[in-house]
Amino acid sequence: MPTHVMNEALGETRLDKGAQGLIGKPLDRYEGRLKVTGKAPYAYETRHGEGVAYGVVVTAPVAKGKVVSIDTLKAFSSPGVIHVLTGDNLPTNSAQPSGDKPAIGGGQIHFYGQVLALVVADSFEAARHGASLVTVECETREGRYDLDAERPNAKVPPPGNMPPDTARGDFERAFAEAEVKLDETYRTPSQSHSAMEPHAAVAEWQGGQLTVHTSCQLVGDNTRQLAAALGIKPDKVRILTPYIGGGFGGKLGIGPEAVLAAMVAKEIGRPVKVALTRQQVYQVTSRRTDTIQRVRIGATRDGRITAIGHESWCSNMAGDDYFEPIGLSTVFLYAGENRLITHRLAELDVLMASAMRAPGEAVGMLALENAMDEMAEKLGLDPIEFRKRNEPDRNPEDDKPFSSRHLIECMEEGARRFGWSEREARPRARQEGDWLIGIGMAAASRKNLLAQSSAEVRLEPDGRAIVLTDMTDIGTGSYTILAQTAGEMLGLPMDRITVLLGDSALPESSGSGGSFGAASAGSSVYIACEALIERLARKMDCAAEDLTLKDGTAVAGNRQVPLVELLAGEALSAEGTLQPGNATKDHHQASYGAHFCEVAVNAVTGETRVRRMLSVCEAGRILNAKTARSQCLGGMIFGIGTALTEELVIDDRNGLLVNHDLAEYHVPVNADVPQLDVVLLDKVDRLASPMASKGLGELGISGAGAAVTNAIYNACGVRVRDYPATLDKVLEGLAEGGGRQ
Amino acid sequence: MAEPIRFILNGEERAIAGLAPTTTILAYLRQHAGLPGTKEGCAEGDCGACTVLLAEPDGVGGLRRRAVNACIQFIPSLHGRAIETVEYLGRGGLHPLQAAMVENHASQCGFCTPGFVMQLYGAWLTGALTDRQSVKDVIAGNLCRCTGYGPIVDAGLDLAARPVPDTRAEDAALAERLVALLGGEMFHYEAAGGAWCAPRHADELADLYASRPDARLVAGATDVGLWVTKQHRDLPVLIDVSRVEDLRHIEAGPGRIYIGAAVTHREAASHLAEVHRDLGEMMRRFAGYQIRNAGTVGGNIANGSPIGDLPPALIALGARLHLRKGETARSVPLEDFFIAYGRQDRAPGEFVAAVEVPTLEDNQRYFAHKVSKRFDSDISAVMAAFLLTFEDGVVSEVRLAFGGMAATPKRAAAAEAALVGQPFDAAAADRAAAALAEDFAPLTDMRASSAYRLKVAENLIRRFEMELRDNPPARVSLAREFA
Repeated sequence: MPTHVMNEALGETRLDKGAQGLIGKPLDRYEGRLKVTGKAPYAYETRHGEGVAYGVVVTAPVAKGKVVSIDTLKAFSSPGVIHVLTGDNLPTNSAQPSGDKPAIGGGQIHFYGQVLALVVADSFEAARHGASLVTVECETREGRYDLDAERPNAKVPPPGNMPPDTARGDFERAFAEAEVKLDETYRTPSQSHSAMEPHAAVAEWQGGQLTVHTSCQLVGDNTRQLAAALGIKPDKVRILTPYIGGGFGGKLGIGPEAVLAAMVAKEIGRPVKVALTRQQVYQVTSRRTDTIQRVRIGATRDGRITAIGHESWCSNMAGDDYFEPIGLSTVFLYAGENRLITHRLAELDVLMASAMRAPGEAVGMLALENAMDEMAEKLGLDPIEFRKRNEPDRNPEDDKPFSSRHLIECMEEGARRFGWSEREARPRARQEGDWLIGIGMAAASRKNLLAQSSAEVRLEPDGRAIVLTDMTDIGTGSYTILAQTAGEMLGLPMDRITVLLGDSALPESSGSGGSFGAASAGSSVYIACEALIERLARKMDCAAEDLTLKDGTAVAGNRQVPLVELLAGEALSAEGTLQPGNATKDHHQASYGAHFCEVAVNAVTGETRVRRMLSVCEAGRILNAKTARSQCLGGMIFGIGTALTEELVIDDRNGLLVNHDLAEYHVPVNADVPQLDVVLLDKVDRLASPMASKGLGELGISGAGAAVTNAIYNACGVRVRDYPATLDKVLEGLAEGGGRQ
Repeated sequence: MAEPIRFILNGEERAIAGLAPTTTILAYLRQHAGLPGTKEGCAEGDCGACTVLLAEPDGVGGLRRRAVNACIQFIPSLHGRAIETVEYLGRGGLHPLQAAMVENHASQCGFCTPGFVMQLYGAWLTGALTDRQSVKDVIAGNLCRCTGYGPIVDAGLDLAARPVPDTRAEDAALAERLVALLGGEMFHYEAAGGAWCAPRHADELADLYASRPDARLVAGATDVGLWVTKQHRDLPVLIDVSRVEDLRHIEAGPGRIYIGAAVTHREAASHLAEVHRDLGEMMRRFAGYQIRNAGTVGGNIANGSPIGDLPPALIALGARLHLRKGETARSVPLEDFFIAYGRQDRAPGEFVAAVEVPTLEDNQRYFAHKVSKRFDSDISAVMAAFLLTFEDGVVSEVRLAFGGMAATPKRAAAAEAALVGQPFDAAAADRAAAALAEDFAPLTDMRASSAYRLKVAENLIRRFEMELRDNPPARVSLAREFA
């Protein structure tokens, strides 16, 4: 099986030559037609009719304690109820993405809303009614819900997405001696992914073989997690997830609904459908951690950073070591001889914290990029100029080279387009009626990741190609990108390509997460196609490099043969695998960008309205200008939500996530978002992957919220360091004279 | 006599019997009708993924269409109506809107997409799509977590540029079929231990409710729907007031508007906007479009929420509430209807019939503003509405009403007292603002802090004063400006 280890840069490839002209083009979404007609089947919609049973989850009414008893008698005797599943072995919530399987309750309650039982009935309504009849008796203990209170007890976690501590030089001394210093602390609240499709699963057994339709991002891992939770071998489990109504990290680990559906389907011998309610999605899947971040920057009077420190505290459940890699960007974004980046993890009796869109950067860059803005003001420097003066030419952590880095170009391009030169450095310099107007910017960076990924590509005798991989499309555009890649490599128009995804019976891919999907899965298709091209070249009796494939024809020298003829009734198939290699270890790889934002702050009410926003993004080769732009837009709106509205509120009396629905957990509505503008710099980074692209899906959110809050400061002189910057915090700052410095 | 629910689904006549009256339209579509294109994102009317198009005879031979959230509408509300889902729209190939959604990349994960499609399509058919602002307004109740909305707005604009087809002939034919389905009697549906009645006249309603005061009245189901989907409450007897003809009238007479209790927010909005532009702006930001298409003026008042937006706006105008029980009708000043948290001045078997809203006199000045964290589809942190009457340059009468400041919608008596008999100048506004602390001790909750609520209430009084000066600062409506 052809495997490519990414040890060094490839030279020019068929993707550069672009014989078919597909790569980079703003092509429509492969599955768009199915989605706009409502015909794309999501997990819950795969089984109907007689024999199907419906499960409704029962959750814990307290946050911490012991389950004394669960009275299921009334539920059992309710009409239509078939079974009530209880027990110490039920999953409490989603699995940690890197975990073996979901945690189990073991008779204890670890957080408010933990899964305790599943009521199964002939109809959804009967199951729901049955669930309302289950009563739970618990011994309640006092819980810990406040990160600030638990901060003194926080511990050094084991290495995760990054080491907990990275240091260079003597930070404390350099900071103490710095000519100009900034020392500020920022706070961000817990957040929810809030994908539009609630988690759902339909499980069915045939003999010892389990088939589960569910909504998940990492099919291979999720299959193993589900098998482990059930105590069976992974080859007994097949997961299907062709269409996924959004993930954002919330569907990285297998969800409790899939495990419960599989467990109970086996017991009752019927297919079982389980969907979490919207409230349960908030309560029993995962969240992004709350954070406390102390940022210290020391610089010379002319704005050279000599010391940069980013110490952070975040939370998770007891026994879970995952920590948000908050300082991921601080490690490499700006120069400075003396550096200190630390992560501490506190235990809370609150739902598991896990990865959400751009884990690390999404919240870490709020603090870093606010601090850079604050420091620029202290130095009397334009924020862009301050950043330029601290542009490193190598990774300041270890002096390794960058694979590619275009941050300054992004900032300059954005400044020109946005009209940055018209910005008044002094806050509160522009007013229109009741509205104070300001603009702000922030840098963006997202560490580039690559993951092992395999795909099979088949050339059918009729000259059509089929791409087969367990890769997922969570709205990102995987179907489209993989079709474009195969089409470009094999010289086939889009309508001759079929892409089958999201099936654990297919070759295992990277899955979707960490912005690594397009490069990883795309490369596997590239590698498989290269193998097919070798074989086609042999048939053409030429070297592969002399073979051009275009519009379903093979061309070598002065010979031109239709593919169908060349295949002569034979199907060709190859599986390609990409493995990350030394290119990642020897170089620092990241995507870069710059966000620009204009806000209006109402002097009467403290309301903030985003008026304009532009992001300039650089992520190596742009594979599809439309899907790339869409990804950036999605990231930017997450950034607006992070800055202004999104916050999981925890009741400090009982640990309840109070705003566990879409009415009160405020994802931005369209009126909160102006027409967003995205500029993509099309580059190539051959060290990143054979695709020469870097991760893009999370670049749009990284730093975006800081551009919004920096603009708020510029508008009204109020610096909100406790996210989100809601109207009460802004008005309080205005009332305290924050705007009249 | 109980009968099946008769309606037209995607052009075909259907009948439902045996399903509980509190089965939602969404559950019916997805589980029973084999139409899973309509999505469930929240089951409480917050996200719009379940948007479907309802049509009913308009009484003059045509159809009245409106998009609603199928997730909180109960199946008996389908009786005598036609429903269209996303599957029907694409029956003859992609509709131009669907093509525009693909072309503009207005669908990423795709889960919200059918809701946006039906919402935009419905708005276009009813002539509501004109410019960018109108597109943004009609999708206020649809959430998307992927696209940043811009591509969806662009797709909506592509549709807005197309002429609306003339469907009068088909509409008339469909209306005729629907009238036949509706039958001549009061609709009465029973199944699975639940009952639903839909009286046609106020007299019928009065008789029915007097005999069954334990019944729950339901109109748009924008609140009652959640009692079922979220609180899992049993509602054995429901009386649907939304078909009561005399509760659906709006009468704009001299000096007042009489709004029937079953008038939807959408129907009332244009009339309220004529009273004052602030009311129009508030109604534009009131919940989302689908909720305004279903929820009623009477419902927003009668459920007695301390954070409903209409009560403070109407209390400030001096509205009166008309109630009826059996043969007995009475009316009360709207503010007197709200007694305490969760308690209203409504006897068992008594129902809200209408609200009577005085229009402004030449010597009156009005101000209303909804303050919320999110621009649309959000519960107010504070809702403020003020009315001043002037005589000889002096405030002769004042009504300052607030929502979100107390357990009920409430007037600010101390602040009002500080204004009466004085010119309304900056000093007077300051005195009234200071007096608010005597009137209110608002809660701190996740919508806003107590200090904020008090502060913003003070600021809004001061802002009103500034607006009445000779050269008032511009009060920009931002959603319009930034669209």
